[in-house]
Amino acid sequence: MKLTDNMDVSENPAVPNTAMEVTPDADDQSQETESEGRQRSLSDINSILEFAKLERSDFKPQVQCLYFSEHLENDSIKLLELDQPVLDSILSGKSVTIRGDKNDGAVLVTDDKTYDFKEAETSNSMLLLPQLSFSSDLPSEGDQEIVQKKVGSVIYNYYELRPIKPRLKKLRKLLEENPYRGKECEGDELDTGKKYTLPELQDRVQASNKEIVEGLRKLNACELSGYWRVLDFEFLSTVVYHVLQLCDENDWLTTGVDLAQCCDVLQELFPIELVQHVVRCFARDGDGEEKSTATAVPLCEDKVCKHFAELCLRNSGKFNLSDFSQAWQQSVPEGMTTSLSQIQGMALIDRSSQPEVIWYYCVDDLPDDVAERFEVLFEERKKWSLEEITPYVIDLTSEKTDVGALLTKFARASMLNGIKVFSSRKTL
Amino acid sequence: MVQILVKLPGDETECKEWAIVELQGDLETRHPVPLSGKFIGDLHFAHKDAPVLIIGHHILHGKVMSLEKPFAVITKASNSETADGSEVTPMEADHADQALAPTSGSEDNPSQPSYHVKAIIRKKVLFKTRPKPIIAHVPKKL
Repeated sequence: MKLTDNMDVSENPAVPNTAMEVTPDADDQSQETESEGRQRSLSDINSILEFAKLERSDFKPQVQCLYFSEHLENDSIKLLELDQPVLDSILSGKSVTIRGDKNDGAVLVTDDKTYDFKEAETSNSMLLLPQLSFSSDLPSEGDQEIVQKKVGSVIYNYYELRPIKPRLKKLRKLLEENPYRGKECEGDELDTGKKYTLPELQDRVQASNKEIVEGLRKLNACELSGYWRVLDFEFLSTVVYHVLQLCDENDWLTTGVDLAQCCDVLQELFPIELVQHVVRCFARDGDGEEKSTATAVPLCEDKVCKHFAELCLRNSGKFNLSDFSQAWQQSVPEGMTTSLSQIQGMALIDRSSQPEVIWYYCVDDLPDDVAERFEVLFEERKKWSLEEITPYVIDLTSEKTDVGALLTKFARASMLNGIKVFSSRKTL
Repeated sequence: MVQILVKLPGDETECKEWAIVELQGDLETRHPVPLSGKFIGDLHFAHKDAPVLIIGHHILHGKVMSLEKPFAVITKASNSETADGSEVTPMEADHADQALAPTSGSEDNPSQPSYHVKAIIRKKVLFKTRPKPIIAHVPKKL
């Protein structure tokens, strides 16, 4: 690899070379380049500059001679391309973790974001140098000098990061292995599914900690005895029934729920943290948060009504719409008003059938993957109006992609009786 | 399943900065000998910033680029840093996490496998054009 003498250059004016390859001279004296071998001298450097017809004075006086390190680390080193937030997290000592289950691809998570990993290859070779001076680091004047610089590794690939939506379906799947059905059911013959602590969920779910906590909140999961649990719907309904009964007795629907008193009365039936949790699930947004010190927690009409709609529809197949509307209004606490807008994304209405019918169809049960979501939606119904489909895709939107953009990409628009409708792009 | 921490080694808060010299193609020796310790070439910087690399009898003109997205140089943390010094496989790490008390975070688990960020790379010297041969003696025209 050493350029030994000038003859070598002059005798081989143009050594045949494969198009893309730099083939440094490996010559018979290569063994002498080992540590005690002949060091490259200024005269070596200057004579080759002369042959190259380059003026020494055009260059900074310091010449960096590159050597491969004696101990090349090509396999133990990986390059990870970072974006600024990830870099900042690493440099500030915040947690940056690669996580994933056996069968899922690995993701990288910071405190609050999730990134997909992708390996990228390059046909270029990247020589990694722990020390290298750039032009601005070098003096412009002075005597010519040689500085040796070592290449620690030669790398041909690196990992790219791409920010993605957290994959939270799994969170629900894991928690539904063992929903909470009440303290008397703990340890009974049905209590066989696994229960998960937060660290265990972090091990299994491909999402950042913040996104997992947010996902738990959306699932209305509750931390009981250290385990995160979703509540069995029938059990939840029982708790809600008791809470609303107390509301009725104490006029809490107008004044807000007195959480302390509520827990006190119900603590014989349910754990206190569970009662608190259920009241908070139905509290108006912003009220009843754990930090809130307010003693009275006002309940949210929409959330309570939605719960009763689910109770009516969940196991009843298709329901005559007007019968349903009547039954639903009668089931909710007095003073609350039901409206179909409360159950968008939870139930579908077919207005073309006689009579009109409604059935349970919840966005939470649909796939997270955008293409799969649209496929399932168009299997359920061939044509959707914008108003109908929006609640079923709104959770897939991001800052860059709104509902319109999703529909443009994944659906075909057409006009039906003067209304714009969306159908599958796939030809049948 | 398993979580692998990516962090600066030890308690360091500063990170070393490395550099990349990127070449189109690959470096080879004429004879199949290991590359370790071998001389590669001379890197000159012109006063006008332009880098020139001379490898054997090839000359390469390049440019210095700031990476839009920096690279982290990561390497598996050596096992000697784990609590008991034993090899940690993902499976073992999994069991170790299962054994944790429900309330303790896994973040500080010393037996957790991790990658250390040895350095950050923000700049590279890119030689993307084909090397030009140095011709010492131009044959005189007859």
